[in-house]
Amino acid sequence: MHNSLNRLQSVFGFFTTVAFTLGCLIALTDLWAERTPSGVIKATNTQVVKGRPHYYSSKKEEYAIIKFSLDADLSSLFTWNTKQLFVYVTAEWPAPEAGMNATNEAVIWDSIITNPSADHLVNLGPIGKKKLKASAGGKSIAPERGLLKLKNQKPKYQISHPSGKIASAEDVTLKVHYNVQPWFGLLTWNTQSDIGRWKSFAGGVSDQFSLPAVKVKDDKKKP
Amino acid sequence: MAEEILDKVRDVVEGEIDFKGQKRAELIGTLLLAITGLIAFNVGWVKQDIVLAMYLGGAGTALSFIAVVPPWPFYNKDPAKWLPVGSGLTVG
Repeated sequence: MHNSLNRLQSVFGFFTTVAFTLGCLIALTDLWAERTPSGVIKATNTQVVKGRPHYYSSKKEEYAIIKFSLDADLSSLFTWNTKQLFVYVTAEWPAPEAGMNATNEAVIWDSIITNPSADHLVNLGPIGKKKLKASAGGKSIAPERGLLKLKNQKPKYQISHPSGKIASAEDVTLKVHYNVQPWFGLLTWNTQSDIGRWKSFAGGVSDQFSLPAVKVKDDKKKP
Repeated sequence: MAEEILDKVRDVVEGEIDFKGQKRAELIGTLLLAITGLIAFNVGWVKQDIVLAMYLGGAGTALSFIAVVPPWPFYNKDPAKWLPVGSGLTVG
């Protein structure tokens, strides 16, 4: 501590220790916050069409387009340490024959929901970003953004299967997943069972349904 | 003239302080930073605002640097009293 450089190094050194400790404390507060996610999901309209994976492909594959309705309450996932929430919906169905993949799982829709503390990071244009920031109303946490109400939502991704066949798949279910991305601490996904104050997802799985057969183009017959 | 100025500049840049001042600087730096961390966490938690916690932590850290790094007169109040030059036994 005898000269300025020495004091600079010593203060900075202890600052890193304090910053790390502060980060750990903040990460630990996540365990204190209750997580009670719940939701109802339902497939509203399913359709299977034939298409090509890319323009010059000679291979034709079947693609499923699954529209769904989602009514979810993920507001408890928004705490002071939440940076953003990644919500995604998967379609899952078992293999029709033994020897194939036991379970097929594909994401059909996803969304990033930011907490106001991370609004400046969103990939939006200047006007959209301004609107998003204004929607927080000056609050530091916005749990109301965790309330999802989607009606007959179009999927973001049309799904297929490595075999190219997906029509008439049976026992398909839709499932809601989330991933909490904190400012400090570990990424966490939905839990299979209750962990302390973190409850497992109440609902969030649709009833089983079957995909229809490939849609035949009969538009030409219509006037 | 030029040498005098250079000497002064060197003194300010090196910023040497006396022994008691070093002990004081160590104590003040540690306390300020630790208290900063506690205040940042607690205020952030009470207000549920992580951005506020970050700014409080940053402000406290800046304050600690300002308080400790420069050779404030406060750290040079007790200069060591060295024996005068040539006061030792002369050989010969």
